[in-house]
Amino acid sequence: MKTLPPLQYLDQEGQPSQPCPEWCNKPDWLLRCYHYMVLARQFDTKAIALQRTGQLGTYASLLGSEGIDVPVALSMKSTDVLVPYYRNHACQIIRGMPLEEAFLYWGGDERGNSSVQMGEDFPNAVPIATQSLHACGVASAFKIRNQKRAAVTFIGDGGTSKGDFMEALNVAGVWQLPVVFIINNNQWAISIPRQIQSAAAQLADKAVAAGIPGIQVDGNDPIAMHEAIHNALNRAYEGKGATLIEAISYRLGDHTTADDATRYRSNDELKSAWERDPIKRLRNFLALQNFWDESKEQALLQETHQLVQEAANKYIEISPQKIDSIFDYLYAEPNSQLIEQKDWAIVKAMQGGSHFEGESS
Amino acid sequence: MKHNVCLLEAVNLALASEMRKDEEVVILGEDVGVNGGVFRATANLRDEFGLKRVMDTPLAETMIAGVSIGMASQGLKPIAEIQFMGFIFPALEQIICHAARLRNRTRGRLSCPLVIRAPFGGGIHAPEHHSESTEALLAHIPGLKVVVPSSPARAYGLLLAAIRDPDPVIFLEPKRIYRSQQQEVEDNANALPIGSCFTLREGSDITLVSWGAMITETLSAAESLSNEGVNCEVIDVATISPLDVETILISVRKTGRLVIIHEAPRTGGVGADISAIVAEQALLDLQAPVVRVTGYDTVMPYFRLEKHYLPNSQDIIDAVKQTVEFV
Amino acid sequence: MKYFKLPDLGEGLPEAEIIEWHIAEGQCVETDQILVSVETAKAIIEIPSPQTGKVTHLFGQPGDTIHTGEPLLEFEGDEENDSGTVVGEIPQAQEQTATTDEFIIGAPSGSSHIRGESKATPAVRALAKRLNIDLNQIKGSGQNGLITPTDVEKTAKLDRAHGKASPLKGVRKHMALAMIKSHQEIVPVTINEDANIDIWPKNTDITFRLIHAIAQACKKVPEFNAWFDSSSLSRRIHSTITLGVAVDTPQGLFVPVLRDIGNRDQADLRNGLNLLREDVKNRTIPAKELQGATITLSNFGTIAGRYANPIIVPPQVAILGAGVIRQEPKVVNNEIIIQRIMPLSLSFDHRALTGGEAARFLMAILNDLQQETT
Repeated sequence: MKTLPPLQYLDQEGQPSQPCPEWCNKPDWLLRCYHYMVLARQFDTKAIALQRTGQLGTYASLLGSEGIDVPVALSMKSTDVLVPYYRNHACQIIRGMPLEEAFLYWGGDERGNSSVQMGEDFPNAVPIATQSLHACGVASAFKIRNQKRAAVTFIGDGGTSKGDFMEALNVAGVWQLPVVFIINNNQWAISIPRQIQSAAAQLADKAVAAGIPGIQVDGNDPIAMHEAIHNALNRAYEGKGATLIEAISYRLGDHTTADDATRYRSNDELKSAWERDPIKRLRNFLALQNFWDESKEQALLQETHQLVQEAANKYIEISPQKIDSIFDYLYAEPNSQLIEQKDWAIVKAMQGGSHFEGESS
Repeated sequence: MKHNVCLLEAVNLALASEMRKDEEVVILGEDVGVNGGVFRATANLRDEFGLKRVMDTPLAETMIAGVSIGMASQGLKPIAEIQFMGFIFPALEQIICHAARLRNRTRGRLSCPLVIRAPFGGGIHAPEHHSESTEALLAHIPGLKVVVPSSPARAYGLLLAAIRDPDPVIFLEPKRIYRSQQQEVEDNANALPIGSCFTLREGSDITLVSWGAMITETLSAAESLSNEGVNCEVIDVATISPLDVETILISVRKTGRLVIIHEAPRTGGVGADISAIVAEQALLDLQAPVVRVTGYDTVMPYFRLEKHYLPNSQDIIDAVKQTVEFV
Repeated sequence: MKYFKLPDLGEGLPEAEIIEWHIAEGQCVETDQILVSVETAKAIIEIPSPQTGKVTHLFGQPGDTIHTGEPLLEFEGDEENDSGTVVGEIPQAQEQTATTDEFIIGAPSGSSHIRGESKATPAVRALAKRLNIDLNQIKGSGQNGLITPTDVEKTAKLDRAHGKASPLKGVRKHMALAMIKSHQEIVPVTINEDANIDIWPKNTDITFRLIHAIAQACKKVPEFNAWFDSSSLSRRIHSTITLGVAVDTPQGLFVPVLRDIGNRDQADLRNGLNLLREDVKNRTIPAKELQGATITLSNFGTIAGRYANPIIVPPQVAILGAGVIRQEPKVVNNEIIIQRIMPLSLSFDHRALTGGEAARFLMAILNDLQQETT
C-alpha cells in the first residue's frame, strides 16, 4: 500500500513545497486558471443567492472545489468527453456552456442539459456513481474506434462506496480504457464524514483492486492537479489505460442549498479548511511570481461579478419551455398515446382548463 | 437466403446480418464471445467480427448497462446481453434513470440507441431466479420500448428493428420456445415494425391477446376451439410498449369478447393495462367481461411445481368458453 | 459423461495423489466399480465409477497429484450434444420440418363491425334482458345512438299496452328501406292523364301494351331512362331499357326486371313477361333479376285505384303507374260519348327531368297506348 503524501507543489500559503515545474514560470496557464476559479466562485455565490430568493431550485454548491475542476477542464481537449457528477458546473462553463444556461438545470429546465456547446459531454448525474460506468462506455467507444480521446469523470468520496464505481474501475482496468476517474474527496457525503465512508487508507487504493494506477493529489493545489491530470490524460491518449486520481479538498459549502452542515460539523473544522482555500493559495503564488497585484484582483472581481450578474439576468428572462416539450423528447418518433396525452396537456393549460396558469377572465 | 431455424437461431441470424451491414453495431455481455452465449445466441459472432465488436465482459450487470449507455451516447449501437431476465435488476437503475431518459433530459442532444437482450419466462426446469417474467416493470417506464417475439420469423424481424431503433429497446426472448419450433426465415435484412401487433389467426367469435411463449398455448387452444365451432382471433402483441392499441380495439369491436393471456403474475401485469384500455374505448362493444388468464401472484415455484403455475391451453379454452357463454 | 473429474472428496480438500489404479485403459467398467485409490491430506480414499462404460484414457500415474475438478479418466461416448444452455432444459423441436409462419401486421383489412349489435352499456343490456326487449328494435336516444335505460323502459311499456312489435323482415323490410331512401332524396312530381283505349281489341294484354308504350316513349325522351346520382349531381342515360315490373305477392312487393325491352321482338317480350309471371308465382326469381331497373312500371290497376303518386326508386328518375280501366263519359266534338279509359300516373324526379320532358314522355305513352295494336 502506498503511504506517499498527496502530490503537492504549493503549501496552503501558496509557497512552493517542492520545486515547481518549468511551465509555472510563465503566467499564461496560471492566470487562465485563476480567472476561471474566481468566475466559478462568483457563479456559485450568485446561484445560492438566486436559490435563497426563490429563483433557482435546490443547488449543489461548488465552493472549495475550484482547484480541482478548473485545472481539469483546462487540461481536457475539446474532443475529450466530460462525464460529470452534480458539482462540476465550473467544468461545464469552461468547456463552453453559456453562463446563463448553467443556471437552467438547477432552475428546473431540461435545456440546461441540451446546449450544443456541451458537445458529447454527459449532463449532471444524480443517481450516485452511475456516471462512472457511462464514462467507461464512452471510453470503450473511443477504443473500439481507435480514437485518441479520453473520457474524464468525477465522483465524490461517498460515491466511491457504490457498486457502479467499483464495477467501473474494474472494467476500465481489465479493458484498458482511456478514462480518467477523479474523486473529489471533499471529506463529506452530506453528513457522513470520510472516516466512516470507507476503511481504505486512501480512496485511491481502490485502484489496486482494479489493477490501475491510483494517486492522491492535493485538490487545493492547481499546479499539482495540472500535473496529475496531464499524466492521466496522456496515459489515456497513448492507449495505456485508466487512472484514478483522488483529489483531497474540503466541501466549504453545504451539500446543497437544502442542507445545513452546521448540524453535523464543527465551525472550527470549517475555519481551518478555509485556510486551505485554493483560490487564496493560487493568488498568493501568483503574487509571489509577480504575475498578480491588488488592482488586477479588483478588476477581475468586478469583471467576473458583472459577467455573472448579466448571465443571471438573462437566465431570469428565459421563459419556460412549451408544454409540448414534456412529450417531444421521449422517443425519436412519438407514439399515438403520447400524441394524445400531449394534446390533453395543452388543452388543460388553456383558459378554462384544470391546469390553466393565467388569470381567469 | 432461406434458413430453417428455431427462435434462438433466428436471433443469431439477425445479429450477424445487422453486424455485417452496420459497423457501429457491437455486442457485449457475459459469456457472449468465446462461448457464444450460454444459449448460443451469439455463436460464431466473435470469430466473424473480432473482439472489439463482440466483447466478453466482467460479471457485472450494472456495468453492462452503464457501459452500453456510454457507448450508445457516442453513436455506437450496443446490443447488451443480460444472461437471464432474473439478473436484470442491478441494471435497472441504469436502464430507468439513464437509458430511458437520456434523449429526454438532453432535449435530443444525446440519445441512447441500445438494445438489451434477455432470455425470459419459465418452463425450462431451471433453478430459481431463471424464470422471471417482469415485462410489466419495464413497460411502465417512459422512454423505453419493450419487445417480445414469439416465433423465429418475428424474432428475426423484430430484433433487426430493435437494433435500428434510435431509442432503447428491451428485447425479451421467451426461452421456453427458443428451440421448440423450426421455421423458414428469409435472411433478407427486412425488419418488422415495432409498435405493431400481429394477427396470427382471424376469427369473429372472440379475441385472444397474448405474447411470448404463451402464444404457443393460445394458438393451440384456438385450434381446438375451432373444432367446436368457436372461431378465435389470435393477436400477438409483440411490442409490449408502446402498445398497438388500435389493432386490439379493431378486433374487440368485431368480436365483442376478449381473453388476455400472460405468464407473468396477474396484479399489475400488462393484461391489466390492456383491459383498462378496452374498457375505456370499447366498452359498448363488449358482450362479456374481459378475462385474464395469467400466472398467480406468487414467485415462480421451483421447477417441480412449475407446471401448476404456468397457464396451459386448457386454461385458455376454459376462459374462452366462460366468455362465450356469458349472456 | 465423457470425462470423470475428481470430485470434492470432502471438506474442500483441493487435491489428491493417485496411489493405485484398479482398472486399465480399454476396460469396461460398471457403476460403483472401484476405479482408483487416492490419498488426500487426511486419508486414502477409493473412488467408484459414476456410470457404466468403457474407459478410453486415464489421466495421471500413481504418484501424480490431481486437483479437485481435474479429469481423472475419459469414457467412450459421443461428443456431448451442445445443449445450448447453462441451466435447465430447453425443449427441442420434435419435428425438424420447418413451418412458415403466416401473420398479418396489425389488424386484418376489412375487420369491420360485422355484428350489427346496438350500442348499449352492460347495465342497459341486462335491463333489456330482464324486460325481454330486443335491443335491435330500439333507436337509442343517447349520444351517438346510445340506448338509454329510459329507451328500454318506454319500449317495454308500449309492448305491455299494445303487444310486442314485430320487426320487418325480408321483402317488407327492403321495401321500407327503399321508400325511406326515395323520400329522402327524390323531388317527385306526378302528372296524370287518361289513355283512350276504346279501340283495343278484346283480350289485349294490358301489361304488354304498357311495356311497349314505355319502350316507345323512352326512345322519344331517352332522358327518362336514366340514373341520377345525388352526391355527384350527375346523370347516366342508358342505351338499353331495363324495365322494373312491380308485382304484388303475399310476401310483399317484388320488382323483377325485363331486360332490353326496346330491342326485343314481341314474341320474345311476351315470353319474357310470361316467364317473369311464373317465377313470381313460384317464388323462384333469382336475385339478379331484381336489380338494375332503369325505369319502372306499376300496374296497380290489376287490383284497384285510379290515380296515384307512385314512388320512384333511386337511382331511377321515373315510374309509370296504371290504374283500373273504366268506362267514363267524355266530351268529344261537343257530344258526350262513353269511352274506355286507363288512368295513368307518371311520376318523375324533377331534379333530373323537366316538366316539358315529362309532358312529352306522357304524350308518347298516350300515342302508343291509343293505337289499336303495336
